[in-house]
Amino acid sequence: MTGPVVHDVQTLPADDNVNPYAFSVDLNGQWFLQKGKMIAYYGRIDFHGIGHGHLDRLIAGSFHSPLHAADWVVAEGQGKMLLADRAFDVNSYDLDEGNLTIRSGNLLAFQPSLSLKQSIIPGFLTLIGTGKFVAASNGPVVFVEPPVRVDPQALVGWADCPSPCHHYDHQYLRGFLGGLRAHTGIGGASGEEHQFEFVGAGTVLLQSTEQLMPELATGTVPDEAGVPGGGGHAQQSGSQLPQLPGNLGGLQRRFGL
Amino acid sequence: MPFTVLNSRMVEARIAPGTRMFSQRGAMLAYRGEVSFTPNIQGGQGGIGSMIGRRIAGEATPLMTVEGSGTVMFGHGGHHVHVVDLTGETLYVEADRLLAFDGSLQQGTMFMGSQGGVMGMVRGQVTGQGLFTTTLKGHGAAAVMAHGGVIELPITPQRPVHVDPQAYVAHRGEVRNKLSTALGWRDMVGRGSGEAFQLELSGQGTVYVQASEEKL
Repeated sequence: MTGPVVHDVQTLPADDNVNPYAFSVDLNGQWFLQKGKMIAYYGRIDFHGIGHGHLDRLIAGSFHSPLHAADWVVAEGQGKMLLADRAFDVNSYDLDEGNLTIRSGNLLAFQPSLSLKQSIIPGFLTLIGTGKFVAASNGPVVFVEPPVRVDPQALVGWADCPSPCHHYDHQYLRGFLGGLRAHTGIGGASGEEHQFEFVGAGTVLLQSTEQLMPELATGTVPDEAGVPGGGGHAQQSGSQLPQLPGNLGGLQRRFGL
Repeated sequence: MPFTVLNSRMVEARIAPGTRMFSQRGAMLAYRGEVSFTPNIQGGQGGIGSMIGRRIAGEATPLMTVEGSGTVMFGHGGHHVHVVDLTGETLYVEADRLLAFDGSLQQGTMFMGSQGGVMGMVRGQVTGQGLFTTTLKGHGAAAVMAHGGVIELPITPQRPVHVDPQAYVAHRGEVRNKLSTALGWRDMVGRGSGEAFQLELSGQGTVYVQASEEKL
């Protein structure tokens, strides 16, 4: 083993993974990007918020989710851009005249040749068209083909198959012992009574654990040690009174309120 | 072999009609076919007697019985999964590290204090494993969870293995384990190396060690 690999703008991969947790985009034009997922970049790249400026045509063409508009930015320019999300596994996927639905928190970035729509299933986004997108998952992604039933928390997304339905399994609550279990609660639950069922042709994407990636408020500075400006709105006085806006909070304390 | 390794954190198990499997509750990620998951009051095999034994020993992890026909994918908490194939030997493992195991394996509880006497009890206290551990015996496979990847270290009579108690996952074979201490005056004044306690495993077998000192 040699020491750590040092990358520069030439050796960074073009549209490929640097390691399992970081992805390098060879930007020449525009990419859509979820806020806060860019960790570094080379070159001249501008980040524009969605909803204003000269990008109206682009957004009209490929961004059809007003619900998520506040969470996304457009990266525009030339250079190499590194994407990552809290050391979760990151992968890129190619869609060819296809459609794929993905949990909204897991999608990191996509090419504008794809168009983003809100899925009719809340919390999911659908990508339609041809192009590349980058998604994160808690553990490596496993592809399975229907018919399959999956744990709701392990589901990352699905491609080409009809929308899933709920499947409830209460078989073990039948019979005498099951009745006893249902009425008294003794014996507990298996934790697997409820799954999402997929049928038809397509592919289902699973992550390797049933722990969801926790939703992170995008764009805010996290309240952590060593982060300047983090936790700026922490209550300083112990008073239960509502604080006055701005810097007048100190006045309240001064008057002993 | 019923387990297929899908990636470092997931295994797929084939359930044939008439066989069954035990797994930790909530560890199923997906399945195909007609498979049922039944919460298991006894926490594993055996009757009420075994259940009481496990409760007393603190080795009662919520398990579920997996039956039917199909394939089931297991994974839990993002931990790494290691499949151990048993051909007649005994695997010693903490119950909460067991992700899933064949119903053909005989499950038991063992008093660790019987190995090493008083030192065995101290061992249990220091490692946080308690005085009891779960044993699996027979022919079949078990999927064991670990924080970080798993390393297999062979133990031969000539070469005992010393393991950090926090990194110890499981062992199998004819292995005696005892806690060896290297306590010196430095530890007394709080300037120890942090490695005062080690688990010494001797005999014939294999020890599984995780690449982390974090417990599950």
